[in-house]
Amino acid sequence: MSTDLTNVFGASLSRRGFVTAGGALLASFGLARAEGQQPAGVVDSLNPARPESWIEIHADNTILIRTGKSDFGQGTIFTAYRQIVAEELGVPFEAITTVVSGDTDRTPDGGGTFDLLMHGMPNLRKASAYVHQALLDLASQQLGVPKDQLSVQDGVVSGGGKSVSYGDLVKNQKLNLTIPVKGDVNSMFGLTVEGDPPLKPVSQYSIVGKSFPNSVIVSKVTAKETWVTDVRLPGMLHARVVHPKTLGSKLVSAGTVDKARFPNAQVVVKGNLVGVVAPTEWEAIKAAQQVASGTKWSEWKGLPGDQRLFQYLKEDADWKTAPVATSTTNKGDAPAAIANSPKKLSATYQLPYLKHAPIGPTMAVADVRADGTVYVYAHTQNAQALRTGIARMLTTSVDHVVVRTFAGAGHYGRSNGGNAGAEDEAVILSQALGKPVRVQWTRQDDLQWSTQSSAAISEVELSVDGKGNLSAYEIKHYMPAMQDDRLVGAILAGLPTIPAPNEIGSLFGIANAMHDPWVYDATPAVLERSYGTSQIGQTSSPLNVGLRDHSLRTPGQYQQNFPRELAITEAAVLAGVDPLQFRIQHAREKRVIGVLDAVRQNSGWETRSARRVSDGVSRGQGVSVMFRSGTYWACVAQIAVNMTSGAIKVEKVTVAVDPGIVINPAQLKRQVEGGAVMGVSIALLEEVRFDESGVTSSDWRSYPIATMADLPEIKVVLINNPEVGMYGQGSEAANALAAPAIAGALFDATGKVARRLPLKADYVKALLKA
Amino acid sequence: MTTMVVNGVKREVQAPADTPLLYVLRNDLELSGPQFGCGLAQCGACSVLLNGKEVRSCITPVGAAAGKEVTTLEGLPARWAKQKGLSEAEAAKTLHPLQEAWIEEQTPLCGFCQNGMMIKATELLERIASPTVAEIKEAFTTSGPSPHLCRCGSYTAIIQAVQRAASTMVKRSVA
Repeated sequence: MSTDLTNVFGASLSRRGFVTAGGALLASFGLARAEGQQPAGVVDSLNPARPESWIEIHADNTILIRTGKSDFGQGTIFTAYRQIVAEELGVPFEAITTVVSGDTDRTPDGGGTFDLLMHGMPNLRKASAYVHQALLDLASQQLGVPKDQLSVQDGVVSGGGKSVSYGDLVKNQKLNLTIPVKGDVNSMFGLTVEGDPPLKPVSQYSIVGKSFPNSVIVSKVTAKETWVTDVRLPGMLHARVVHPKTLGSKLVSAGTVDKARFPNAQVVVKGNLVGVVAPTEWEAIKAAQQVASGTKWSEWKGLPGDQRLFQYLKEDADWKTAPVATSTTNKGDAPAAIANSPKKLSATYQLPYLKHAPIGPTMAVADVRADGTVYVYAHTQNAQALRTGIARMLTTSVDHVVVRTFAGAGHYGRSNGGNAGAEDEAVILSQALGKPVRVQWTRQDDLQWSTQSSAAISEVELSVDGKGNLSAYEIKHYMPAMQDDRLVGAILAGLPTIPAPNEIGSLFGIANAMHDPWVYDATPAVLERSYGTSQIGQTSSPLNVGLRDHSLRTPGQYQQNFPRELAITEAAVLAGVDPLQFRIQHAREKRVIGVLDAVRQNSGWETRSARRVSDGVSRGQGVSVMFRSGTYWACVAQIAVNMTSGAIKVEKVTVAVDPGIVINPAQLKRQVEGGAVMGVSIALLEEVRFDESGVTSSDWRSYPIATMADLPEIKVVLINNPEVGMYGQGSEAANALAAPAIAGALFDATGKVARRLPLKADYVKALLKA
Repeated sequence: MTTMVVNGVKREVQAPADTPLLYVLRNDLELSGPQFGCGLAQCGACSVLLNGKEVRSCITPVGAAAGKEVTTLEGLPARWAKQKGLSEAEAAKTLHPLQEAWIEEQTPLCGFCQNGMMIKATELLERIASPTVAEIKEAFTTSGPSPHLCRCGSYTAIIQAVQRAASTMVKRSVA
């Protein structure tokens, strides 16, 4: 055995002869766990310092990769991750045959899918680069050829007239490379691979940039995928939860099961949590309905109701306690410039609460075992954070908790802090009953007891000068605290959770912070500020629940980008300049100008002043811009407005996106198309209805979303900018772009500005009459 | 006890007759195609074909399926093979052209709704061989108890996949 420790690129590298029965570098799970035997009942994550925790190269030249992140429909872990690893290692895309993801006991790093590309440096990219170097070292030793004379093609290392495949190279060898990491695997953000390994130059890319198909699609369309909804454990009970009558109701008395009708059902009560279980799902459903009808709750009225929402935010909410966030790009004296300007605008913009509204209501299976280990089977984008939350709830250590992640209905950020809703309730019921329990939320539970994307108001003051330029811009954003990652079942049961996000925001600052980077650098005076307050109803709710808020795709940024972009359109009109040209005129960053040029060329944008009305229908065009997570976006919406009914038909949406390096054009295009549809849905239809006691949206009729009938023509323009050298991320941003472009188009079509969403026909009709 | 033919095979189930077909298919017969989306016939995630017609299995009592043919996503390849008179060996390695098209167009995002989308598309293409975009939109929005909902917004990709499948199916019928 030889040991050769060196420090290369920040990593400790060593090599050591190693014999395995199978001849593979490493072929089984578990070996990569922390060195030494784990005590009974302890199940920890894989050791992130070990290369095979990330990448296993097998003797047959196939490769397995592992990531703590999971798939929520982006396909990234099955497409981009494989492309990035294949590129760095120098193997074909197809060589990566297995992707292990999102299981806390089978992966090394954690974190959420919001950070899949980690601003161009996903952990697997660096891990691959380290492994690539270690493989070259090994090849140099085996072939007797200096490392700098070696080259790699399709997983074969060649040099000095000799060659060896990766599979043969690692046979009977162990790379004793130590991968440097920092961070806490159980935190929201997981671990980060450190150091500075040499990366493949972008100019030599042959795999990144191609449209490889998403492998999981095959299993999904052939009904071979194991969805979280398919998880069945021996002895598993089906459960429904009878949630409180209001978001502040305490349990007075729980109903009982009529054993004559439901002989196998039983009620479990813990604090204010009422669960009903039965061996079959139908008995659980019917028994839960019967128990619900007999359960008594205290009354609570602590919400303003949706009709008073914006008045409440303006007049009643306390915005004075929290410190005010200011933008780092503020400059000049905007208030003075506006005061001295003859051409100015003063306006307020209002956004309602939105639901993630997954097509499948949240569900989970939990198995609290006699030895104290807890297994949770869930669809979560942040398994390690869920593990941490469950351990906290049970006052146990994280190494007693395992979260396994399965495919499920996308929920667009709801679980980025771990939980989607049902997981903790399943754990509480399983612990109480000593059996595995499957909790399935109903559609009504999912709309009324899940978190929502915060409502917000923004106040804008701006002025334009005589030359058609924006001379000063001031905006104040007001949004209740977001990112409530508490486990709702734990709250109801009176078990430990993290604190509620307070008025200063939360652990992650999603509330009174600036989220929407300013892109109009030519503006001489800018003042952007953001104010925070507590979640509505939460502090007065005896349950400490109220309207819980959470990230939805572009948290905080959507709430700030809508008012800004509509206000910029209004400023352009005030200045007498085409709104698209006005934006270009105020941008200095060439990538902002690039996406704007792209939508102008591809949308059929017309520079004109006269409105086009025919047969009672007026058509208009609008534009919006956003910069998020290293990616530049622009959108043009073309709409038709029925001038009698106020109904809007979005006819065409054009989106240009410049993420730097485009990793997989076909997959990115599909993501953007989907985001554009969600954007149309938000613009025209979506609004959480609530009264003084709770959310009254309970089904798809009371929370409508876009259907195929609402689908516009969608054109996606991808701008590949390899010289940027980065993988921009955030394809979800497409959802935020449509609304300000559509509102701008309504202004263009009718001369009326709608500063509140959604743009329902009655609202538009009232504006047209005003 | 209810007897029905599921994906070409006669099945007897013990569940009470008022049990929604969805729970019988998922829990008793362990089929994973149809999904629970709303339990209200408002989204289409649970769709199956009952004697060739798309129904929402979440509100269809299993008793209503007695003596009838149920086709789920799992049964689409065999349904196509039978329609084309393919041998058992050929059928075993065949996907329905709609499934092929869904893969080629990379249609699903999260994919949770796509069972219902493919079931609805099967019903549509068995009725209209080459539907127009308007006919496709009509099928997915106004033809049933509710529109088929996709929260990820894959409607463009669904239309393109239906058109691709229609073209393939027409060609294979002519051949």
